[in-house]
Amino acid sequence: MAAHPAAKVINTQEITDKARRDLLQLLEAVRGKKNLVLERSLAGTIGLFVKFSTLQEYGVDKVFFLENHNVDSSQRNVIFLLRGDNAKTVRTVAEQIKLVRSESKIDHEFSIIWIPRRTRVSDMVLEEHGVLGEATISELALYFVPLEQDLMSLELESSFSDLYLRKEPTSVFASATALMRLQKQYGLFPRILGKGDNAKRLADLLQRMRSEEDVNASSDPSKTYLTSFGLTPSSVVENLIIIDREVDFPTVLATQLTYQGLIDENFGISNNQIEVDTSVLGGAPAPPQQQTGTAQPPTAATKRKVPLDSSDKLYPSLRDANFATIGPTLNQTARRLQSDQQNIKQQDQSIADLRSFVSKLPSYQAEQASLKIHTGLAEEILKVTRSEVFSAMLEVQQNLLAGSDPSTVHENIEELIARDVPLKTVLRLLCLESCLSNGIRSRDLESFKRQILQAYGFQHILTLADLEKLGLLVPRESHRGYLNPIAGAAGQTATDWNAVRKSLTLWIDDVQETDPNDTAYVFSGYAPLSVRLVQCILQKSYLFGLVNTRQGNTPPTGGGWKGFEDTLTRIRGATVDVTQKGHDADASHARKTLRGSKEGPKVSVVFFLGGVTYAEIAALRFVSGQLEKSSWRRIVIGTTHVISGDRAVGAAVEKRKFVE
Amino acid sequence: MSKATADWTRVGDRFYRRTQLYDSIFDPDLELENYIVTGAPYSGAVALYRDESKIYSFRGSQTAKSSIDLYSCAGKLIRRITWDKGRIVAVGWSEEERLLVVTNDGTVRSYADLQSDFSPFSLGHDAEEYGVRGCKFWSTGFVALLGNNKLVAVTRYDEPRPQALASAPVGEVISWTVIPPEYTSSRSVEVLLAVDGTVHVVDAAECEDRGLQAGPFRHISVSPNGKFISLYTDDGKVWVISSDFQDRLSEYESKVKTPPKDLQWCGNNAIVLAWEDEIHLVGPNGAASKFDDYNSFVHLLPDIDGIRILTNTVCEFLQKVPDSTEEVYRVGSTSPGSVLLDAVEQLDKKSPKADDNIQMIRSNLDEAVDVCVRAAGQEYSVHRQKQLLKAASFGKSVLDLYNSDDFVDMTEVLRVLNAVRFYEIGLPISYEQYIRLTPERLVQRLVNRQEYLLALKVSEFLHLPVDRIYVNWARQKVRSSSTDEDSLCEEIVRKLNGKRGVSFEEVAHAAYDEGRGKLATELLEHEPRAGKQVPLLLSVGEESVALDKAIESGDTDLVFYVLLNLKKKMPLSSFFRTINSRPVATSIVESSAIDQDQELLKDFYYQDDRRVDGSNLLLSEALAAGDINAAADKMKMAAKLLRDSKDYTAQVVALEDAQKLLRFQEAFEKDLNEPFVGLSVNETLSKLIKTGNMKRSQKVQTEFKVSDKTFSWIRLRALVSRRYWIELEELSKGKKSAIGWEPYFNEILGAGNTKLASLFIPKCTHLAMAERIEMWLKCGLANKAGEEALKAKDRNALEELRTKATGSAQLDIDRMIAQLQKGR
Repeated sequence: MAAHPAAKVINTQEITDKARRDLLQLLEAVRGKKNLVLERSLAGTIGLFVKFSTLQEYGVDKVFFLENHNVDSSQRNVIFLLRGDNAKTVRTVAEQIKLVRSESKIDHEFSIIWIPRRTRVSDMVLEEHGVLGEATISELALYFVPLEQDLMSLELESSFSDLYLRKEPTSVFASATALMRLQKQYGLFPRILGKGDNAKRLADLLQRMRSEEDVNASSDPSKTYLTSFGLTPSSVVENLIIIDREVDFPTVLATQLTYQGLIDENFGISNNQIEVDTSVLGGAPAPPQQQTGTAQPPTAATKRKVPLDSSDKLYPSLRDANFATIGPTLNQTARRLQSDQQNIKQQDQSIADLRSFVSKLPSYQAEQASLKIHTGLAEEILKVTRSEVFSAMLEVQQNLLAGSDPSTVHENIEELIARDVPLKTVLRLLCLESCLSNGIRSRDLESFKRQILQAYGFQHILTLADLEKLGLLVPRESHRGYLNPIAGAAGQTATDWNAVRKSLTLWIDDVQETDPNDTAYVFSGYAPLSVRLVQCILQKSYLFGLVNTRQGNTPPTGGGWKGFEDTLTRIRGATVDVTQKGHDADASHARKTLRGSKEGPKVSVVFFLGGVTYAEIAALRFVSGQLEKSSWRRIVIGTTHVISGDRAVGAAVEKRKFVE
Repeated sequence: MSKATADWTRVGDRFYRRTQLYDSIFDPDLELENYIVTGAPYSGAVALYRDESKIYSFRGSQTAKSSIDLYSCAGKLIRRITWDKGRIVAVGWSEEERLLVVTNDGTVRSYADLQSDFSPFSLGHDAEEYGVRGCKFWSTGFVALLGNNKLVAVTRYDEPRPQALASAPVGEVISWTVIPPEYTSSRSVEVLLAVDGTVHVVDAAECEDRGLQAGPFRHISVSPNGKFISLYTDDGKVWVISSDFQDRLSEYESKVKTPPKDLQWCGNNAIVLAWEDEIHLVGPNGAASKFDDYNSFVHLLPDIDGIRILTNTVCEFLQKVPDSTEEVYRVGSTSPGSVLLDAVEQLDKKSPKADDNIQMIRSNLDEAVDVCVRAAGQEYSVHRQKQLLKAASFGKSVLDLYNSDDFVDMTEVLRVLNAVRFYEIGLPISYEQYIRLTPERLVQRLVNRQEYLLALKVSEFLHLPVDRIYVNWARQKVRSSSTDEDSLCEEIVRKLNGKRGVSFEEVAHAAYDEGRGKLATELLEHEPRAGKQVPLLLSVGEESVALDKAIESGDTDLVFYVLLNLKKKMPLSSFFRTINSRPVATSIVESSAIDQDQELLKDFYYQDDRRVDGSNLLLSEALAAGDINAAADKMKMAAKLLRDSKDYTAQVVALEDAQKLLRFQEAFEKDLNEPFVGLSVNETLSKLIKTGNMKRSQKVQTEFKVSDKTFSWIRLRALVSRRYWIELEELSKGKKSAIGWEPYFNEILGAGNTKLASLFIPKCTHLAMAERIEMWLKCGLANKAGEEALKAKDRNALEELRTKATGSAQLDIDRMIAQLQKGR
């Protein structure tokens, strides 16, 4: 049997379908027309799996954003669809219910749908406000939302700041629950590997949940099917690799140089969509879709929403390429399309030819539309990358990544501050330096801080304090003894970048951008540490060959981290390596036989705790492509959310100003 | 052995059978006519309570005490609930055998399993005021009809929430019923109210008059599958219509003057009318049959596939004869199944006809076996079950290929069914009901009846999990046992330990509910799920243990929940002490307090001596403050917090600078009438330069020690942005620049002033010749570029320039080339 496409192994489409079904079922449970109240951040997430028109079919009349405090009483039924983790949100809901109730003459029916689960705290807060009995409460177990076939995200925008700034492990728990659900469907991950203190926490939690699952399953009468055999190791998933973002901050801070990465840096991709000024791309081709009803402000006229996913004709082939190669590729495509068009005009064609052409016409038009969009975007990005400031910034970044003495770039950074480049750009460079050399020399740091405060305002005292808490921007002396309050004693607290750069070949001088042979192409020279760690597990011989070009050493064999233990001890954070076996060897064997997947494709799930960047996604796809060619294996990426350098330092940046 | 068809009755073209399940049910003294009787679905328990509207003779104070008695179908008393609270208006059951008792003031008591204590809830204000007139129950909820004709629905019992339905018409409700949500098109419950001559359909949103005229209807009833409605008119007629009120299906005239006491469906195709001791069975097309051989009062207990008939002496099951049974046993049947059954009988007699029979049905033999297996499932008599299974077994032995799964399954099911039908258990469940109820819930019913051993045996036999049984046993043990806590705990742990999936938390909860706190804590120790221990630990007052367990579980919701509880219970200082040693708790308190309770946070930072955090909190308040003075005050306080220690000098300076800047800006606003507050130092400088206030900008520069480099950049960009060419030209005369001259060239060129930009080219002396040539070219001055090349005596560069140059510049360059050649 030919190995079926690995995409089918973990079917992300299934997750999408289930989420849609569940949501619609909950909406259906409320009879008649209803008004829907959403958290702003959820609107896009929900848009990923259900269209607004479908919601309308299920009786949704108007959509409101919770943040706007403008729920009206036009419908008797009001449904709140919200994340229940945040006590503040719960309080807002309670207040709005009270408000609507007191202002409206009719008797309203309130329903609250908590995502992903109903929390005790929400009940408690609602009770305190005296509205617990007023609302029908249900939950929508929405954990992973597939962004692409190989990319699942929890879409927890705040997980980066929660984890590293506030040291609050909510997203670890959410991740564990999501991964647990994956295990329930596909079987236990036979091996859990990971790096970083939070990765350790997540792995521990997964094991704890597994043991608790036995009890849970049986005390829940609706799930009796699980109890009879319990969980057995999966036959399709090979392992789970958890990368704690904390292990590799520099990769986030560096400016991404892939096409998708640069789109994210410049326009900010959110839920597979970007908003672009109509001046860049022209207006939307069709009359703008009223996506969220009344909630959408009329200002959308000057912005255009562009979906960026695999439904686009050209995007999948463009997104992961280095931006340097985008121009030529677009050129080629344009020429191909043009010659197609000329073919039809010039030659005498038989009816059959004509017909085949006409049948291709829709796809041809779609391709042309897509070409137009991407040329527009590429031009816009080119404007940025050609600017003097960008090259100055990139020069600093690449120098730092390549391992030059950081003091040589200080003058450049100072100049950038004086030239008033965006604060986040400057902070990213400083944080990059701090992360790579375990802190900035105290005197230099103080001077930088002073310049930043003067250039961007004194409110950034708070920004700088938060960056220090995040561990992104710290004085060098204190760093060695810097203690992560939760981390405890596990693992090392700092990475020896110089050693790791060498032992994992994080910098490649002669990088090939057009026909890449190494993941370093995504940063034009720097190979992301996070991806190298994955390669330590999945591409041992390649990585080993890269480091030991001269010696005839044999590459390490065996699973897990084997062969790279020394390097791992030089990287901060705990190292995780757990093998999960079934309770019952017979059962797992039986399951294996039943699945009959002796030679089927195996999947590695790579989970980024605290966010993944598009550049890393590109690099992992590159690795996955190589694996698929060599051994039918494949990578599926899971993450708490997609992050970028701006979003990372943005977690710290104080947005308020002194105003009168 | 009586014949299988002995208890069959023909109604129209169908057969119905009355199976006697149990006899001598109740005490003969029990006057059943004075009681209201309701039965739980799927042949569950039966609840009896005295009908208050009936007069009965006084028999001493003992019997006069009001109570609700729960019996098994065989008449075994399961539980007696003494009643002293209000007048009972309705008693009903849910699918999982939860007993619901509704009193006329709208209080509902919900008894979860047959043993445990109730949990009450109220039907709301209206019910209290107008009283409840009656209730109609379905598998998972009920609707109450109030005194003012309002309807209140409860759709779930785990979290009951009474919902008012659309308002019903005024007028006396003669009879009413509900269509369960699962059978309506709207997926929400619909209520049928017979008012005056018609029927109204009421749901959550609207009330609609169906416009019937034949009323008033004394009885109204909905079939188990929700498709049909039967109505009993005042003139003694029974109507059956479809539940969408579109089709009238059949009509039957009872010819009885007195209206029946009860009208119920028997399965989905017949109706039973009950008078005192007589019942009429009305089948399709108005065909009917009378049963009047009851010697006492009759109660009807409808189920999904038939109806149970309860009298003092017997409990019967009346149902349509199942198809398979009819096929096998009908008199004169020649179906393969029947022939196969006959073959076995012949075989017993050692008659050769057995083989003849087999040969006759050879081609349909597999079908015959299937029918016999199915028919066996429908039998209550063990003898006939055996007979049928034997036939099936014989049939399949003749077949070459037959999948025996169904046969094996059926034998297993029958063993279970026979076991639970035994009169001491008293669950006369039919095969159909068993399939719908599921084996798991059947086991639960056994547990409810404290038949732990049988429950265990059944579970093991059917390979079902047994943990629930143990947990239930332990809970009951905790409730009823009077042995001392230590040995009780030990006994329970000994029994339960090592069993997969056992939840000690539930047992502990039961102990706690019994007021055995110590036992609860001891038992809780054995609970494997940390999170589950938390709520109970909180209840028994073990707050800090609860907090640790919550943290252990990793569930931040739980941690937060414990913290909120702790904060309510403890004085602030000990609250802080508790969280201090637990980083996760600390961070959760911090992050939640940030947007809710900054004062708490301030206290916390103060107590914990976290000065920078405290100071930053004040700074954050300064940002939120509306006016400058308030902001400055907050910052003063922020700085004060840090002043004592040397470590924070830089931050103190920054805070002071911030205040100083605000004061400067305030002054500028007054003097210049332009907004300044909110700008940074650099922005202030830039704005001052843009508005031509160089003096002031220099003052700010010195005051805040802005470096010359930075200041030069700000000045350059500000001047260029305002196109202050004269000032820039002035600068070009300067000798030195902190940032070199190239930025001047670039910025001015970027603004489009090539002439001015070119002034700076000669000043860029540190650049290479080629770069300067490039700069000249950018300004469009090829001849100047040429001069540059000439100066460097670079002929190649000149040649190249020549190709680029046009017009007079080209001539100039030609001249230069010549000059260069000459000079050689």
